[in-house]
Amino acid sequence: MRLWQVIKAVLAAFIGVQSEKNRQLDFQAQTPLPYIITGIILVVLFVLCLVLIVNYLVAF
Amino acid sequence: MLAKIVASVFLFVITFLPRLSLADWAVNMTEGVTDVSRSVYSLHMQIFWICVAIAVVVFSVMLWSIIHHRKSAGAKAAQFHENTTIELLWTIIPIFILIAMAVPATATLIDMYDTKESDIDIQVTGYQWKWQYQYLSEDLAFFSNLATPKEQISNLAVKNANYLLEVDEPLVIPIGKKVRFLLTSNDVIHSWWVPAFAVKKDAIPGFINEAWTQVEEVGIYRGQCAELCGKDHGFMPIVVKAVPYEDYLVWVSDKKTIIAEQEAAAARVWTMAELMEQGEKVYQTNCAACHQPNGEGISPAFPALKGSVIATQDQQAHIDIVLNGKAGTAMQAYAAQLNAVDLAAVITYERNAWGNNTGDLIAPQYIQSLLKDK
Repeated sequence: MRLWQVIKAVLAAFIGVQSEKNRQLDFQAQTPLPYIITGIILVVLFVLCLVLIVNYLVAF
Repeated sequence: MLAKIVASVFLFVITFLPRLSLADWAVNMTEGVTDVSRSVYSLHMQIFWICVAIAVVVFSVMLWSIIHHRKSAGAKAAQFHENTTIELLWTIIPIFILIAMAVPATATLIDMYDTKESDIDIQVTGYQWKWQYQYLSEDLAFFSNLATPKEQISNLAVKNANYLLEVDEPLVIPIGKKVRFLLTSNDVIHSWWVPAFAVKKDAIPGFINEAWTQVEEVGIYRGQCAELCGKDHGFMPIVVKAVPYEDYLVWVSDKKTIIAEQEAAAARVWTMAELMEQGEKVYQTNCAACHQPNGEGISPAFPALKGSVIATQDQQAHIDIVLNGKAGTAMQAYAAQLNAVDLAAVITYERNAWGNNTGDLIAPQYIQSLLKDK
């Protein structure tokens, strides 16, 4: 369930709201690397989603 | 302290209230005369009322809680730090409100940018400080200059109803046809803005921006340059005449005939008096903004013509600077803007007005021959 926790932390960062309990949990991690990598991947996915939406709309 | 506050509030009320009640409240944006302008207007109103609703809700809750939880009623402050649920709510609710506004706004934007399948294409070029209109399929081009007399601008005469919103040659377009505008600039960034069409587009040197309109109602629509472009930014208005398609066709052929006649007039012999009269008109429209009606210029940016070496001695240099402009200055190349008669007339005028009495007459034929060599 470690991966799910990382994804949840990154999504919470997207919105800008994180609960204190999850924050404590995240900061027990030994290395920030999984968070950074997941962050980059999710940002790329988010940008791709926007590109797809725009392309879809402009095609009308 | 309290007396002071009451006094200043009272002063504010008696100063501003009469003016507020007298104002006609015509402060909203125009609904316009095109489909696009109407949807821009309705978007504006929708978003305005959404904002009003949010303000009412937020301020009501705020006021209620301030009053309800006041200290004198025995309220105790809750001591806590952060609340994830409420933070998520006030993040997610605005996201949905924004998306709800973005969906119709995007539809309008896509419509605005759809310049495909136009009936008429007009290139609009911004100049310091006038607009040039080129009908791309008609071999027709002309400049549109401010028509408000200088005396009105200097408060020496009563101002017209359309003060600073009137031009000598309006842009004429047919109603019920999709007109595409290709906007660019000859010098600095301008912006072509006609509120009734909801068209406001930057005219940028070296770039071509596109916009379009389809006007439904016959009428005269006025606009202005909307990008600060120098000294006479406020003196380059836009006037668009929307007419039925048949009238438009008649106007195009009439306009072409007039331009051809003006060009043919270069072949005949012009007298000094005729050139001076024409030259003064051309000067006031095209030159006076910088060199001033009295020819004295505005030192140091715009040199005086009165008594200047070029305007009183070196005739070739004078013709050259008027025709080709001067690089690195605001002096434009008027060979591209005026016909041979107007060029000859304005140079003749400059060499003989304001005591520059050189007696030189520049023949339109001579200017014509120079233009042909280009």
